[in-house]
Amino acid sequence: MSLPSVEVAADFKDALQDLKQNNRPEISNLTIIAKENTEHAQAISVELENHIRTTRPEWKLPALYVLDSIVKNVGTPYTVYLGRNLYRTFMDAYTLMDQGTRKAMEGLLRTWKQPVPESMEARPVFSPDVTRDIENALNKYSKLAMQHGLPARPVSNPAWRNTPTPPQNITRYAAPNDPRVRQPFPPTQQYGHFPATPPTQYPSMQPYPQPVSSSHLEDLKAEVAKLIATTQNAFASNLADVSLRTKLQALLDLQKILNTQTLPPQQLEAVRKQVQALAPSTPYPNFVPSVPIQPPQQPLPMFPPAGAPVNIAQLLANAGIPAPPSSTPVAPTPSLADMLRRVSSPAQPSSTPTPNLPFFLPGFSAPPAIPTSVPAAVPASAPAQTGTPTANLAQLLSQFGKPIAAPALVTAPQQPNSLPQLLAQSPSAPTIGSADWLINALKGVPASTTPSSSTPFPSASMARQLSAPINIQAEVELTTASMKKPRLHLISKLYEAIPNICATCGRRFENTPEGKQKKARHMDWHFKVKDPDAAKRGVHRSWYISEKEWIDYREVDETSPEQTSNGAIGSSAAVKKQAKDKYVPVPQDPTLLHAPCPICQEKFDPRWLVEANDFVWMDATKVGGKIYHATCWEEYSKGAGIPTPSTPDSVLGKRKAEVSTPASAKKVRAY
Amino acid sequence: MIALPGLNLTSAPAEPLNLPAAAATRIQDLAANTEYRFEVSFGRALTIRLLSGTAEFFGTELGPSATYTFQGTKGSVFTWHGCKLEIGGQAESEYVAEETQMMSYVNAHFAVESLRGRSAATGEAGPGVLVVGPNSSGKTALVRILMSYAVKSGRQPMAVNLDPKEGMLSVPGSFSAVAFSSIVDIEDGWGSSPISGPSPIPVKMPLVYHYGLANPEEGKIFKPLVTRMALAVTSRLEEDHASRQAGFIIDSSGLIAQGKSGVYDNIEHIISEFSVNILFVLGSERLYSDLTRKYSNRPGEEPVSVIRLDKSGGCVDRSEEYMKQLRQAQIRSYFFGHGTDAALAPSSQMADFDDLNIFKISEGQENDSFRPGNDGDDGYGASNGIYEKETPSSLIQNSLLAITTAAANDRPDVIRDSSVRGYIYVADVDEVKKKVKLLSPQPGHTPPNALVFGSFPEDVPALVS
Repeated sequence: MSLPSVEVAADFKDALQDLKQNNRPEISNLTIIAKENTEHAQAISVELENHIRTTRPEWKLPALYVLDSIVKNVGTPYTVYLGRNLYRTFMDAYTLMDQGTRKAMEGLLRTWKQPVPESMEARPVFSPDVTRDIENALNKYSKLAMQHGLPARPVSNPAWRNTPTPPQNITRYAAPNDPRVRQPFPPTQQYGHFPATPPTQYPSMQPYPQPVSSSHLEDLKAEVAKLIATTQNAFASNLADVSLRTKLQALLDLQKILNTQTLPPQQLEAVRKQVQALAPSTPYPNFVPSVPIQPPQQPLPMFPPAGAPVNIAQLLANAGIPAPPSSTPVAPTPSLADMLRRVSSPAQPSSTPTPNLPFFLPGFSAPPAIPTSVPAAVPASAPAQTGTPTANLAQLLSQFGKPIAAPALVTAPQQPNSLPQLLAQSPSAPTIGSADWLINALKGVPASTTPSSSTPFPSASMARQLSAPINIQAEVELTTASMKKPRLHLISKLYEAIPNICATCGRRFENTPEGKQKKARHMDWHFKVKDPDAAKRGVHRSWYISEKEWIDYREVDETSPEQTSNGAIGSSAAVKKQAKDKYVPVPQDPTLLHAPCPICQEKFDPRWLVEANDFVWMDATKVGGKIYHATCWEEYSKGAGIPTPSTPDSVLGKRKAEVSTPASAKKVRAY
Repeated sequence: MIALPGLNLTSAPAEPLNLPAAAATRIQDLAANTEYRFEVSFGRALTIRLLSGTAEFFGTELGPSATYTFQGTKGSVFTWHGCKLEIGGQAESEYVAEETQMMSYVNAHFAVESLRGRSAATGEAGPGVLVVGPNSSGKTALVRILMSYAVKSGRQPMAVNLDPKEGMLSVPGSFSAVAFSSIVDIEDGWGSSPISGPSPIPVKMPLVYHYGLANPEEGKIFKPLVTRMALAVTSRLEEDHASRQAGFIIDSSGLIAQGKSGVYDNIEHIISEFSVNILFVLGSERLYSDLTRKYSNRPGEEPVSVIRLDKSGGCVDRSEEYMKQLRQAQIRSYFFGHGTDAALAPSSQMADFDDLNIFKISEGQENDSFRPGNDGDDGYGASNGIYEKETPSSLIQNSLLAITTAAANDRPDVIRDSSVRGYIYVADVDEVKKKVKLLSPQPGHTPPNALVFGSFPEDVPALVS
């Protein structure tokens, strides 16, 4: 194994490229590669850092997990090599992440400050010098985020979310039960007047002073809110749909504009029309009751932070395929960009505080002091594709930037040092705050930081990721040439990924609670079938099952919870013990053993009964020293008026009516 | 037809070997990615135990604390990570090979596996795989490896055997299909079909049809049987979601890979009937090139990926003598069980000539001359030539009869298409008394169903002594 570093690094890189989700086997496999090639640690570290820097934002976290796994499981020299650039590696990624992922990253950072669990080593994973810098930077961001009034945590219901700028004091469509929403109104009003359900909320908002055409504005906002909710639902059921994601983002942004800016009535009217065109099914006065309430289980981060310019090309490629499952059309990204250009170019940079977003810290939860700055004044891209209205809306939106100047917004001056630096890495990074920058940043949004898609990422366990992969990547193409490529890293899927091996038969189980349960049942099964006397009891080959039975047959794994055995029929279904379920143990007495049923003169079929842990004759009963078919006896005794011994309640007398449950591997008669 | 309890011949000592108490064991170290290849004759036994590391036998991992005994086996133990084996007994030949095709086979698995993942996500049918190649090119080994890996990956794939030379969970001359949810057995070929007692290896539930001839290219029942089998498998996969996702893998006979002037009628038939979409071609360049040409450019039809895999260096030509022994061992193990621990007790019975409805499969050549132009698909309905009613005679002595699910008076094509309940062995024919002594796998009546008798597998002398 004296491969040059370049080659090892290239292999490692190849394997990294495949890592697109939080996939434990792949991560552990990468770790193993790193472990086995510590002499090439430097090359591997560089490769890993490069990968984290250059890969798409949603693939950065898995890559960071690889880093984490390597430093924890292998340790030096990786901690040294990776530690050198850790600040940059970490912060570069951090700025591009959505809140959920950031949280996960903060979690990582926390563990790096501690020693590796269950290890003898008392020192932290990375030296405190390394982690301290990162912490400081994060603290700075959180301060900044606080000053800018960015919301701390995902709001569960963005449809009702509101982020007004105080000077305008526009009535917001706020979630009444969400205390985190900032309210310019006294809280008593908020909670006293607003009923808990959104539908009734709307009328009660009317009395509040509205600067401009408040009713229209409210209508419009509600309309948008509804669209958002619909889109979210659609998106929730189809997380992989980039176009939906884009659309949702645009709608959220439009909502922000509406909430934060004062628009001339005619503009509002025009926007309203556009929005209504998107949801024509709902009549305007009645829209409120029909607003779907967001299911609580999909908390969405409220402010998706902007992505970096790095990903634009990729994102565009993704977003360029509109596949809207819902009825509402989706704007292609280019038009969004166009609109953004129009929107933001005339505006003062300070009115669009998007640049702050990367520094917004999810962990931060104090109520913002100045609820002025709204992450982005972004036009809705959704209506843009409806065809003819596109231009109108675009024009409308293009004016959004003008009338606003949120007072005393601070952005660029307060940028932490790292921002320019970060941005400088991207060769094409435009000036912060410029229209292009904003456009780029927003273009980065859909893929890196969708509200919905970000939630499952940090929260989902590895197992879930494994069991429900949304995008299965064909790792090995079906070509003759591809078959010859060595892919040793895949082997771990057959071994390390399922580490819990049964010593008796070599079957492997996952190291999960479920896997352990399966193994326990598997071991039980081994125990059950281990019968030293089996050979003496005349076990024989069963008939094969017929075509029809086979088609209906379903394999029963010995590890599945319902160990369907022959006995299950009697125990579960039949409270009433039926004659054919009766059995006697196969007699030892040779005369009895070979004697047929005295009634029908047919022999008994011995068969293994799990319940009895013995070979038995089913459908048999012992009466007066002789063994009869239970069904025969029953028929006979009914006629003769002799009471059936032991189980008197059996009435079903169809002789030999065997219940052939497909699941039971029992004997099937040939006729 | 009477079963005679007294005439119990089950004591036939099927396994004449007395395992020498593995006196001398030796340690075999295997480096990563190498394999230990061995051949053991039928009279001897080789034991293998894994001491450390990991090792697999045709894809099925060896249990760390199990000792495996091989008889009449040509096999190999491969290791991905390196291992140490303890080997006992004597092998006819054994060596360690460093060059294996396992990488390409495991790639094949992962390629198929990603299609399974896609199927799980989308709900469409899983991959349909057909393995073709000349005789002794490692088709069955590849199918076993692919099956084992699939099972290991938590799938429940379907294995279909269309090679009459070796039975899968049944006797030679049969075709069978089975879904695997538990590990493929190591010692006993594919494992065991259900028996009446507990089995130390999870039993498999096969669907069995009887082909009864050695060569799929002969006779006229191969295609109809493939069609029938495909129907059953497709129906099962319709409903059985676990198997549907995992798809199926078909093992085929080397004889259908010879082709007639570049046309592979039977391969094409299998592909179309089963809707195969992945074709692994083992070894033969020519077969690969012919099939690629055939399936590369078919606009408007389901694409079939044709992939060539190299033949493993471990494939050995198996002599006809060995194959015959292998077949006899399979038949023996159908009645008596495999190995010493899982001894089964078949039952011996007497039957009158009149009780048996035996149909002999007509050999293909004759039929062609009888019914010119009545071959191929046309033959489905016109089925008079399929069977000839056979009166028991010494001709059928020592042969196997397939018990079909069809009644004796069913039409020949019904008999042909019906699956098999099991096999009985004709131990003796008494032409004077018009009695037949039968060996049945289990006590009780021999069913009055139609019994099919073919020229393959050949007679097994002295199954019952």
